[in-house]
Amino acid sequence: MLLARNLKRIAARSPWLYRINSGSCNGCDVELATTACIPRYDVERLGCQYCGSPRHADIVLITGPLNRHVKDAVLRLWEEIPEPKVTVAVGVCPISGGIFRESYAVCAPVDQYLPVDVNVPGCPPRPQAIIEGVAKAIEIWRARL
Amino acid sequence: MNVLSLLGRNLTQGPYTEPFPFGPAPTAKRFRGRVTFDAATCEGCKICERVCPAGAIRFSKAKDGLAFAVWHNSCVFCGNCEFHCPTGSVHQTTDWHLAHEQARKYAMVEFGLIPNQTCSECGATALATAPSLRGIAPPLSAEEAVTLKSLCPKCRARFLKARRAKP
Repeated sequence: MLLARNLKRIAARSPWLYRINSGSCNGCDVELATTACIPRYDVERLGCQYCGSPRHADIVLITGPLNRHVKDAVLRLWEEIPEPKVTVAVGVCPISGGIFRESYAVCAPVDQYLPVDVNVPGCPPRPQAIIEGVAKAIEIWRARL
Repeated sequence: MNVLSLLGRNLTQGPYTEPFPFGPAPTAKRFRGRVTFDAATCEGCKICERVCPAGAIRFSKAKDGLAFAVWHNSCVFCGNCEFHCPTGSVHQTTDWHLAHEQARKYAMVEFGLIPNQTCSECGATALATAPSLRGIAPPLSAEEAVTLKSLCPKCRARFLKARRAKP
């Protein structure tokens, strides 16, 4: 009983990552895949893992400048992720629009539509920078639990 | 690290995991990261603003001079600014630690200011930009360069014309 009561406090809790591509050129997505799949970077050392369903996710990584076509789908997907969630904008596109800024086809920056917590600038950011951003996101996520 | 040396290492020692974020990460010498700006050597030609594909660099007139700003959240780290800069005042360092919390989003800016000065010849107020030294023959001496820098554009032209006229 004591253990069951303290389990919430004792458990290390591993956040699961979920990736949303909001019209990215795939550069950032390749870097995200590199960060996760290549043993040299190995983001799973931080206790996190990519998951396939938004309903299992804790940390959501958004890439791309939020194209007008995918905007509704991205916002719906983001709503499906249970609270508490931490949103990380990966690459300059979701942060400011990057080179696509002020285009009629993109709705960047993403923080107009959903609350972003961590920004990782770069075009694309290098895997270590993404790991740094994920580490920051984990800190925020732990504080929110 | 060279691709071939990496390949050799992987063949002999097998795959490995970098210690980052628990230790330092290797960074290439020519890695294009955070942009720095040196106002003392800038000529104020604004070519960096012109070639910046993301519009991250902006020059604006300020009360006390010409202000330079580059926003790292818009910069695509292409290196055009450094490549086209005639004096090397814009430089991309190897610093890639740019991940930040949302609160610091608009603080990721590198500022610089080219101040105004009073022309030592005519007393007019002009920007204290570094003079363009390309194509000046014979090359300016150190004192001449300092004098030229303290002048306004009109007096600079007059100074160079007078210098050319000298036998």
